[in-house]
Amino acid sequence: MRVILSAIIFMLSIGFNVQLLATQDKFQLDEPQKTTLFLELTKELRCPKCQNQNIADSDAMIAVDLKRKVHELVKKDYSKQQVIDFMKQRYGDFVYYKPPVNPMTIWLWLLPILFVIAALVSIAMSRKRQSPEINDEQLAKAEAILEHEE
Amino acid sequence: MKKITIYLTPLLAFLAVLGFLYTGLFSDPRDHQSSLLEQPMPKFELPDLMNTQQTYNQDIFLGKVTLLNVWGVWCITCAIELPYLNQLKQEGKHIVGLYYDQDIDPDFGIKTIERVQQEVTDKLNQLGNPYAFNIFDVKRNLSLDLGVTGAPETYLIDQQGKILLHHIGDINPRVWNKKFAPVYDLLAVQ
Repeated sequence: MRVILSAIIFMLSIGFNVQLLATQDKFQLDEPQKTTLFLELTKELRCPKCQNQNIADSDAMIAVDLKRKVHELVKKDYSKQQVIDFMKQRYGDFVYYKPPVNPMTIWLWLLPILFVIAALVSIAMSRKRQSPEINDEQLAKAEAILEHEE
Repeated sequence: MKKITIYLTPLLAFLAVLGFLYTGLFSDPRDHQSSLLEQPMPKFELPDLMNTQQTYNQDIFLGKVTLLNVWGVWCITCAIELPYLNQLKQEGKHIVGLYYDQDIDPDFGIKTIERVQQEVTDKLNQLGNPYAFNIFDVKRNLSLDLGVTGAPETYLIDQQGKILLHHIGDINPRVWNKKFAPVYDLLAVQ
C-alpha cells in the first residue's frame, strides 16, 4: 500500500514539474527586466476573442498568437508603449485595458466629479433657502407667545 | 410645483437608466470596427495554400474589388458560410481565401502541409469552392496584422488595395444586404 502511494505521489510531482517547466520554457527571455515587461504586458493586454480575460489568462488561439507577438517584440527591444501601440494599431483601443482619454471617454472621469459638485451645490442651496424662512414673522409670533405666557 | 419636480426626479432617472440598459440589450460587444479601415492592406509575402512554390504579396489586390475571407476547415461556421460564398462567386464576385490552421502551432509544429491540403480539398469538394485562390497564412502573422480575432471573418478590399469593411462572423444574405451591398455596389459602378 505504502509503495503504491509513494509511487503515485512521485508520478504526480513529476507531472507538476513538467507542466511548470513547459509554461516557462515556451516564452523565454534572457534578461530579467524583459521577462518582467513581458509578464506585465500580457496582464494588461486584453484578449479580443474572450473579452473578459487578459492574454496571459486566455487559452484562445488568438491570445497565444498575441503572447508570441509580445514575446517577439520585447525580444526586439520594443518599449512597453511601443508594444501597446503595435497592438492598438491592429486591434484598436479595445485591446488595452486602460482606455485612452478622448472626447467620448473623458466623461468616465468627469461625470463622478460633476455629480459630486452638483450634489454639494444642491445641499448648500437647500440649506440657504431654509434659514430665512424661520426668521422674521415666526420669530415675532414666537416671542409674542412667550410674552403672553409670562 | 417644487414638490412635483422632487417626485419626478427619481422617475426620470429611472427612465434614463431604463433607456440606457435597453439599448445595451442589442449591442454586440464583439462588433467593434477594425482599426485598419481605410488603410492599405498590410505588407505580406505568403505562399499559395495548394501550391506553396507560388507566393503572393499585397499587390495581388490591386485592380479588383476583392472579398478576403478568413477561414479554416476546423471552423464550423465557415462551413455554414461556404454555400452562400459560392452563390456570391456565381454572381461574379472575386473571393480570395486567407487560410490558417489551428494545428500548426509555430512553437510546436506537428502537422504537415500535405495533410492540410488534403483536408481543404476534401472540404471544398464537398461544399463547393468559392475561392479564386487561397493564401496560406502559415504563422498567422498576416491575420495578426489584419486584426483577425477568429474565423470566419471577411474584408472588403477596393481596387487600390484599401480595406473598406471588416466583418466578424459569417456572411449571410442579411449581412450582405445590410453591410456589404451598399459599399460593394458603389465600388462596382466605378
